[in-house]
This record gives sequence, C-alpha cells and structure tokens, in this order.
Amino acid sequence: MVEMNLSRRQFLKLSGAAAATLAVVELGFNEKKAYAQSKEFKIAKTKVTPTICCYCGVGCGILVHTNDKTVVYTEGDPDNPINEGKLCSKGTTIRQLYTSEKRLTKPLYRAPGSSKWEEKSWDWMLDTIAKRTKETRDASFKITENGFTVNRTEKIASLGGAALDNEETYLLAKLMRGLGVVYLEHQARI
Amino acid sequence: MQHTDCALIMGANPAENHPISFRWLTKARENGGKIVSVDPRFTRTSSQADVYAPLRSGTDIAFLGGMINYTLQNNLFHKEYVAAYTNASFIVKGGYDFNDGLFSGYNAEKRAYDKTKWALETTPDGKPVKDPTLQNPRCVFQLMKKHYSRYDIDSVIAVTGTPKEDYLNVCKTFCGTGEVGKSGTIMYAMGTTQHTVGTQNVRSYVILQLLLGNIGIPGGGINAMRGESNVQGSTDFALLYDNLPGYLAAPKTLVPEHATLEGYLKIETPKTGYWSNKPKFVVSLLKAWYGKSATKDNEFGYQFLPKASGNYSHINLFKAMYDGKMDGAFLFGTNPVVGGPNAGKEKEALSKLKWLVAIDLWETETASFWQKEAGNNPSDIQTEVFLLPASASYEKEGSISNSSRWMQYRWKAINSRGEARPDLEVIHELALRLKNLYANSANPADKPFLALDWNFGSGDEVDIDLVAKEINGYDISKGKLMKTFGDLKDDGTTSSGNWIYSGFYPGEGMNLSKRRDSKDTGGENYLNWSFAWPANRRIIYNRASADPSGKPWSEKKAVIHWDALQNKWVGNDVPDFKAVTAPTAPGGTGAFMMNKDGVALLFAPTLNDGPFPEHYEPFESPVPNPFSSQQLNPAAVVIEGDFNKKGDKSQFPIVATNYRVSEHWQSGSMTRNQEWLSELVGHMFVEISEELAAEKGIKNKDQIIVSSARGEVKAYAMVTKRFKPFTIQGKKIHQIGMPWHFGYKGFVTGDTANRLTPHIGDANSFIPEYKAFLCNVRRAD
Amino acid sequence: MTEYVKYVDVTKCDGCRACMVACKNWNDLPAEQTEFLGSVQSHKKTTADTWNVLQYIEHDNAKGNLEYLFRHSSCFHCTDAACEKVCPEHAISYTKYGTVVVDQDKCVGCGYCVNNCPFEIIALKEYKDKNGKEYRKAHKCTMCTDRLDEGLQPACVTTCHTGAMEFGNKTDMLKKAEQRVNEIKSRFPNANIYNPQGVGGTHTVYVLAERPSVYGLPENPKVPTSAVLWKDYAQPIGKMMLGATTMAVVGAYISNKIFNKEGKGHDEDGGGSHE
Repeated sequence: MVEMNLSRRQFLKLSGAAAATLAVVELGFNEKKAYAQSKEFKIAKTKVTPTICCYCGVGCGILVHTNDKTVVYTEGDPDNPINEGKLCSKGTTIRQLYTSEKRLTKPLYRAPGSSKWEEKSWDWMLDTIAKRTKETRDASFKITENGFTVNRTEKIASLGGAALDNEETYLLAKLMRGLGVVYLEHQARI
Repeated sequence: MQHTDCALIMGANPAENHPISFRWLTKARENGGKIVSVDPRFTRTSSQADVYAPLRSGTDIAFLGGMINYTLQNNLFHKEYVAAYTNASFIVKGGYDFNDGLFSGYNAEKRAYDKTKWALETTPDGKPVKDPTLQNPRCVFQLMKKHYSRYDIDSVIAVTGTPKEDYLNVCKTFCGTGEVGKSGTIMYAMGTTQHTVGTQNVRSYVILQLLLGNIGIPGGGINAMRGESNVQGSTDFALLYDNLPGYLAAPKTLVPEHATLEGYLKIETPKTGYWSNKPKFVVSLLKAWYGKSATKDNEFGYQFLPKASGNYSHINLFKAMYDGKMDGAFLFGTNPVVGGPNAGKEKEALSKLKWLVAIDLWETETASFWQKEAGNNPSDIQTEVFLLPASASYEKEGSISNSSRWMQYRWKAINSRGEARPDLEVIHELALRLKNLYANSANPADKPFLALDWNFGSGDEVDIDLVAKEINGYDISKGKLMKTFGDLKDDGTTSSGNWIYSGFYPGEGMNLSKRRDSKDTGGENYLNWSFAWPANRRIIYNRASADPSGKPWSEKKAVIHWDALQNKWVGNDVPDFKAVTAPTAPGGTGAFMMNKDGVALLFAPTLNDGPFPEHYEPFESPVPNPFSSQQLNPAAVVIEGDFNKKGDKSQFPIVATNYRVSEHWQSGSMTRNQEWLSELVGHMFVEISEELAAEKGIKNKDQIIVSSARGEVKAYAMVTKRFKPFTIQGKKIHQIGMPWHFGYKGFVTGDTANRLTPHIGDANSFIPEYKAFLCNVRRAD
Repeated sequence: MTEYVKYVDVTKCDGCRACMVACKNWNDLPAEQTEFLGSVQSHKKTTADTWNVLQYIEHDNAKGNLEYLFRHSSCFHCTDAACEKVCPEHAISYTKYGTVVVDQDKCVGCGYCVNNCPFEIIALKEYKDKNGKEYRKAHKCTMCTDRLDEGLQPACVTTCHTGAMEFGNKTDMLKKAEQRVNEIKSRFPNANIYNPQGVGGTHTVYVLAERPSVYGLPENPKVPTSAVLWKDYAQPIGKMMLGATTMAVVGAYISNKIFNKEGKGHDEDGGGSHE
C-alpha cells in the first residue's frame, strides 16, 4: 500500500544522519555489544508507515512504528523535505494518540436529562442520528423565500473539520450543502 | 524561507507554535538573514530574534502604517516593481475621500460602506486609467502616501507603546529589503487575524511587501502560519458558510443576480484575470455534486444549492443557537466550549439544542457540556448527545494540505483503536442512511438531496480512491480523469469537485499526493514530492520574481525567466503565468494573474472597512484612538446585550491577550489527553509583569483571578520579565497574557481562558477578537 | 579509539522540548505529575523518569537587556564519573563510546551515585515487587546507547530541529564549539564551552551563552575527594572485610555522613544549585 521502498536496513541508514553514518564506518557500531543489553532493539521488527503530523499546518512527515498490537515509536520522517526527520514536542508525541487511555473506544449516548453516558452500537447511533437529521430538516426546510429558490434549513449546523483529511472535508461539504445546511463553519473562522 | 534576508514575525510565535517552520529561519540566519520579532510579550521566538520590539495588542495597523510611511518617506520602495505590478499608478475616482477615520460612503446606521464610492477611473472600454509617473494626486500611490503621512514615528509609538529605539530598529532592518536583490518575508498567525481589524492587519502586510517588492520571490512573501494540520484543505474545500469548494462564492439572496446560474456567473466572473474562467469551475463543481441530475436545462442543478439569507459565521451561528433558533448540530473534531469566544455563552447555547452529534477521539468539554463538571445540572438539559469515536490520523488514509498548499498523503499504520472509525466512513454511512430515508419521496423539498450524486463504492464501504478522483474530476464524455483544470469546461462535459486541486490525479493509479521523491528539483522546490495546488506550483506569483522584461530581478533570487529562444517561461518552479505569454505580449507583465488587470492591490476597494488599512482601537480598549474620533472599526458588527457584554476601562483597565504554547494544541483535547505533553505544561497560568505583580501584591506561583465583563478564571500567576508595562499617550498600561488550552477534561485541567473573550468579529472575516480585550486581576485569596 | 560526544549549543535552542518527549518516547518512560514552578519549566531537575529537562531562565545581561535562555539538561557522561566511582555493585560502567550506563540487574538502589553526582542528574525510582516489597533503582540518560549500537543518534539529537544538538566525534565537536563561541561573542560576551576538566571532560559538551552559574551549573566541578577515597581506598578494603552487601549498608551511612559534612562535593567550588 505504502509506496515507500524502505527496508529496515535502508531506513536505518536514512535516519542516521551524517555524523552517525560516519560513526558506523569508523567504529563498526554493529560489532558485539560491550555491555549487557537485556532488551531486543526497540524497532527491530516494527512495520514503518509514513504519515503527516496532525497538529499544526507545517506538514511535517512522521514515521509510525507499529507491531501487531500497538504503536511502539513515532519519529520524524527523514525523507520529508519539510522537516528532514525533525519534529517538535507535539509531533514527537503522536504515538500517544493511539496509546492514550483517554481514547474513546465506543459510541456513547446521552439521553435528554440524563447524567451519564450509555454505550450504544454504531448502527443504532447512525440510524438515530439520520432520523434526527431528517426530522429537523423536514420541519425547517424552506424551498423559496420572496420568490428566490433557497432550498435550505437554518436549524442544523455543522462545525469543525480542520483536522479532517481532504477527502473527508469534501464529502462533508457535499453532504451538508446537499442537505441544505447553511450554518457550515470550521476552525478557519476561529 | 531559508532564502530570506529578513523575516518579520508579527502576530505569530513560530518557535513555539510552528517549530519546524522556525528550522528554516535558523538556516536563513546562517546565511546572514535577520529575524525581527514584534510581540507584546518576549516569547521563545523573541529569544531567537536579532531585533525585538514590543507593541500593545491591537495596534498592528499603527505599527505597520508607520513602517509603510517610513518606506515611502525614505524612498526605500522598489519603484519599478511598484509601478509595474501593483495598482499604484491607477487613478481613483473623485468619490473616494477619507476624513477623521471614515472613508467616503459610510452609513452609520448600517455600520457599512457604499464601496462604489471607492471606484477606480476606467477608459470607455473598461481599462484602468493610469499615471505611470505616479505623480497624479489622485493616483493610488499619492493617495496612499497622503494616508500614511499621518503615521509618523512619534504618533505611532504613542499608540503602540513601542520604545522609539526599538521601533526604528525594526524599520531599518526590515524596510531595507526593498533593495533590489534582497528579500524579506512576513510570518503571521492568529495574533494578526483575531482582531476587529484582522483583515486590514493582513492588508498592511500586503502593502508593505508590495512596496518593498517582496512578493513572488524566494525569501519573500507573506506566510500565514496555519494552526491546524488541514485548515488549509478544509478552507479549500469550503467548510465555511460563504464559500463553495475552490473559493467560489456561496450563492445568497442578498445578491438578486444569484437567483439564476446565469446571473450568478455574470456577476461573479471578472472580465480579466484568471478568474474569468470561473464558469468552468462552477459548472464542473455542479456536475461533480449532482452528476446526471445536473443538465443544461436545469442550470446544472444550481437551484439545488442552498442560498443564504444572512451571515452564518461562527459568532452568528452561536447567537442563533443561543436564541433557540437551532435544533441540531454536528461537531467534527471541534471543541467550542474551550476554543470559542466568550466560551461560557457558547456552552449555554449548546443546551438550547435538541440534539448534538460529536465525532471525536476524546470526550471533549463540548461533548460533555451537560455534565456537573461543566457547572451544569444535567437534569436541566434536554439535549440529546451522540458521541462517536473517531479514528486518529494514522488509523486511516487520506491527504491533507499544509500552509504551503502541499497536498501530502497519510497512510494507514494500524487498525483503529477500539470501535473508532474514520470520519470518511461516518459521513458516508450517514449519507447512505439519509438517502434511504428519503428514497422515493415525491416531496419537492427532498428533490435537492435526492439529486445529490453519491457513488463512492458498493454497499456500505466507502472507496477513498473514488472520492479522490471525484475531487480531481473527469472528462465525462471520455470517461477519463482530468489532467489539469485548464481543460475544464462550462458545458457540462467535465466535472471537478474542487477545481484548484484538479490535476492531482491525472490518470489511473496516479494520485500525485502520494509521491515521495525527495530529490531537490531546484530552488528547494521538490516538485516531485507530493503535489501542490494549483498545478503543482510551489511559489505563487512567481512571475514577479522577474522584471517586466522577463529577466530575474536578481540572479541570486531567480525563480522563472523568459527564454526568448524557447519562447516560454522557464525556471525551477511551475510558472504562475501563462507559460507562452511573452513579456511584450498583451498582459505580459500582469504578474498577479488571478487579479483583475493582473496587478496586486495597494488600494483594495473590495473590503468592507476601507481601501487602505486605518488604525482603530479594539472593541475593548484602555485608551482613546488618537488617529481619529472613530474608536472602533466603523464596519465591525457589534452584537449588544447579554450575549456579548462589554467591559469598560474603569473596571477593567488591563489589556489581555491569549495564545498557545508549544506543548499544547488548540483546545487541548489533542494534547491534554497525551501524558507526555500534559506533563510539560500541566497548569493553567497567566503571565504578568513584575510591575503589575508588585502593584497587585501578587507573588510568583500565587493563585490569581482574572476577570472580564464576560467571566472569571482562576489560574497560577507566572510573574515574568517578559511582559513589561507600556507607556501609551504618556500613561502606564499593563498587559497580561494566558494560554487558551485548558478545560475540565483530560489528564491536566484548568480554567478556560475564553470565558473572558468577547463575541465580536472582524469586519470582513468575522474572526473573533481574542487577542485584545480588557480585564482585571487580583489574588485569589 | 575515537571518542563521541553530544554537542549542545544552547544558543540555537528555541525551547520546544521535543528532546524531552523524544527521550520518553524512545525509552518508554512514563509521565510524571508536575507542580507549577512559576516559569515555563516543567521539572526542577532530571528524575528517574525524566532523563532530560529543558531549563528556562530569564536573565538580565550585563547591558541590562533581557535574555531568555534555554538549556537541555541531561547526563554529562563524565570521563571520570563520580557515580561510577562510588557504585559498590559495579552497576555503573563506561561503554566503548565513553557513555556511562547503569546495569539495572546489578543496581541495588543504595543511592551513592545520587549523592555524589556533581550535577544532580542521576536519580532513584521506587518500585514494588509482586510481594509488595519496595526496592529502588538508579536511572538516568543512557545517551541512547542502544541506538548508538545500531548506528543511530540519540533520540533527542535526532529530533532536534534547530541544530542545537549534534552527535559526533569529540575532536570535531570541540572544534565546532570553539568556532561557535567566537561567532556569538558579540552577542553573548560571556559565551563559553562547558566541558569541565575536573571530571576529566564530559561526553555532553555545551556551548553556553552565559557563565555556567547562570544555568545553575558548577563553574568547576570535580569528582568529590570523598568519592575518590571511597572508590580507590575504602571500598576495596571494606569489601574485603565485610562482604559486599553489608558494605553497601554501612557505606550508605558513611557516604552520607562524610560527604554531607564536606559540603556536598560540588558546592565547594562555588557553583550554584539548580534553579
């Protein structure tokens, strides 16, 4: 899937910048270790996938190291000309987007007046949301206003999307406009 | 950026908020470039600067107006560039005037201008009337010179509070880049835009940079430092009420011509410049959205589009919600209870909704606004809330566009955590369910939605490749992908979901955003890495890097030049110009081809608040405006009453601003839920000067209360040398600042700074004025 | 054999703290509860779970101008490392790169190293075994020796975007440091190279903008005399007489007693403590 022809070895060469590459030659860094090391090298067997940072708009490249279960390391993508393998504190930390215990893992529903969340299935949630959307749209839809065809609802708003992928923003704009939503805003305004 | 001779950083703090952009400045510095930091507070960026100058929040136009005046008075501007590539030589009609802070055509009742009063003189065939000598007293250049002659250094610093020596140092250092062969760049962010005069702040940069000949050349330009990974893309794709994808105007009833497609195209399409192709982009978008339902006979489905009857921007959206005029809302990864202005009111507004859908990685303050922790009694709140777990950026695939318009691909590294799903799937499945619910309806109200073309794969699975291709567009008759937006047509035979991106997917299996060839193709433009819209161009307006005859102004800063042998423009970037239009041909010097008449605008008769930037005080200000009797931007819309209480200097004498820190991001949901970042900045704090601390009996690390007309927040005092009181018109004025990242969810929590900020926006963009408001401080005990 | 050092040019640092996160990320270190320190700084000093800390210092220079100084603070990897000298279990050793590492299997958590580090870097962490019994281990920066073995630079160096950190052979890095000090003398007249000879030189070498004491560093740190005595005289004899484990217990008493009386070793040269 990823068009990145980096075998592990190549990857190591890439990320060790000039000084370290030089050191490999001079020192024979890969010779038998001089001290006891109990652990296997952390990223010896990980899968490497390139991504772009999800924080600011600079667009730094990041490599995500994963094993079967989790993300074990994230670091700057040395190939990306924008950051050349470097990152700030936020970019470095995106490993915890996956590992954080605070991640939402199930759809949650809060009934009117309730003081708690309830776990629900995706199907139930999406069906109910579609129903609410239709109810509100149907009750508020305006076809014309003063002889002008307006085809809109002013009772539904859509907010956000600055962290979505382009393809997602496209679908979102298309769906919302298609439904007649005019209160369509995102973080560029705030 | 690494090619610049001087970077003016104003209203931005890249060392903290866009650190990797700062890496390139570090490289510029190694080549002898200078860094100038202008900020109310001495920041991590200031620590790296060669020149630092403080200014009081909300006085950027005065500061920059003085620099414009300095440039003009000392003849530091790039004369040939200004004469050839800007509207400096254009003659302004007699209707234009400026008096005591007001431009001609003002209607006080509507707080709006009649912009026709600012029109330019034209010949009978619609061409601009010019005076290339720039001597005519009615030419833009002379009017500009007169306007800014009022911004002499002493008048400026009496408003900004900048020490004179520092101010002069900034002028000398930056305005020196007007010399041919030198370039200066400006970097800005929300410190510039989040003001009632935000757009005019940016306009001031434009004027200054055009005068210095700094647009379109390496190491020049005006860089908006985008705060979110895809705020560029989401803007390009028009998640804004007044836009359709590709910067096409959303139709509105306010413009009678918008009643039909023909009228819309007529009034929205300029006669000259690249936008004269607009009908092709509009019709191709309609074809992408409405497919077979878009035909020549039904105006290509134009009537299906919703038409606006008002201003639906963020503040008004929450006003409508607050007033109970809205029933439901979708929130895609956004947290206005922390990030919105006057956040306490935005939280109240949510409780008026019948239903709320939040799609997020975390339980945000907004999704949980009904909880006790939010200060609410849950049983009082009848809003039904749906919180859907979203996939993280590397748990799905797709592209995003950075501040430089590079569209880069993100591959999927791992399956989503728990039951989380990509937003793409959520949107798609919701659309399918709605399509189902509306299927076979004969109700006329449902026709637009039924007409919406929605074919992104079979069954429930959404095929992202089909979405990408629809964005790129097709030559429908041939069933082929569009190679370039240059081939789009207005007859319904082509489609494109966003014309500016058209060409990123020019053939099967050729999604160019996935390219990873990092070889420098010249000028560090990396033309084979990812894709940049438009047409893979990396430096926009690069025609201006060459003189009118087509020769680079300087070999050191060359981008493209006219090659007379090959009869075309060549260089190390894709020309932002018709490649075969010779400098001597008609329009051959129109370096700003997107603009009418091919020139950049020193005089901009299109803005709501005047053709030249003029200093006005913020909505809440501790001093009168000495430049005129207009205290506030006359075209800024003021919402009065309970939704937006205004504070007075007698009760709230201290200027306040808010900002971000390197370790947190926006409302903090993406960082306060990360342990390593939470540990680095774990507490809400307020930075105050040693002088203010002494006056108020506050010691470092004390708990203090900051109050404004809207609310109060409790936080730690960070007493610092990096804030100093200003002397404004002979009076001592204090300023404080605080981060706006905190809320009541996450590993680390704290009071929300935005409970203090007002609900007032810029006159053009309606972006709220977060960056200058009044407050007071006291010890908490 | 070529010696390698981490070169830190604090005048190029913009305080982003990527080095702190990169270290935790590579070494799988947990976050700590931090208290508000009255500045941007997150931790007072390095701890067993935080192997490097970025210092933030507001300093009025000789001209009366404000300087906002940053310093990536982590283990110096001294050539004559006091921690190595005083460790009764030989848990601390030098690697072929000159870095100083702790063998966790051998460490008994006695804390001599903590008491004797001239820079207050190494720290103890408390653990509980499955029977609820408490034990302690000493931790500090390893200079990512596991990465060095694979030809990679330390994680903090790899991520640093301003070029404030580099890893390379000592001769080159020292030359670079000298050049840099010359370059910045006009802006920072007190600029200096910090590579203290009292500990035989270090494998983290700094270009500092101001005098070491401005950063809370000892101007002329030495391996405490007591540590030399301990390592070279008392310990071998003691071990011979008492056996190693008993010695560790007695030693704790002696070392705290004697060393504290001496004034904590590193203060004798007039250096300040960490802010």
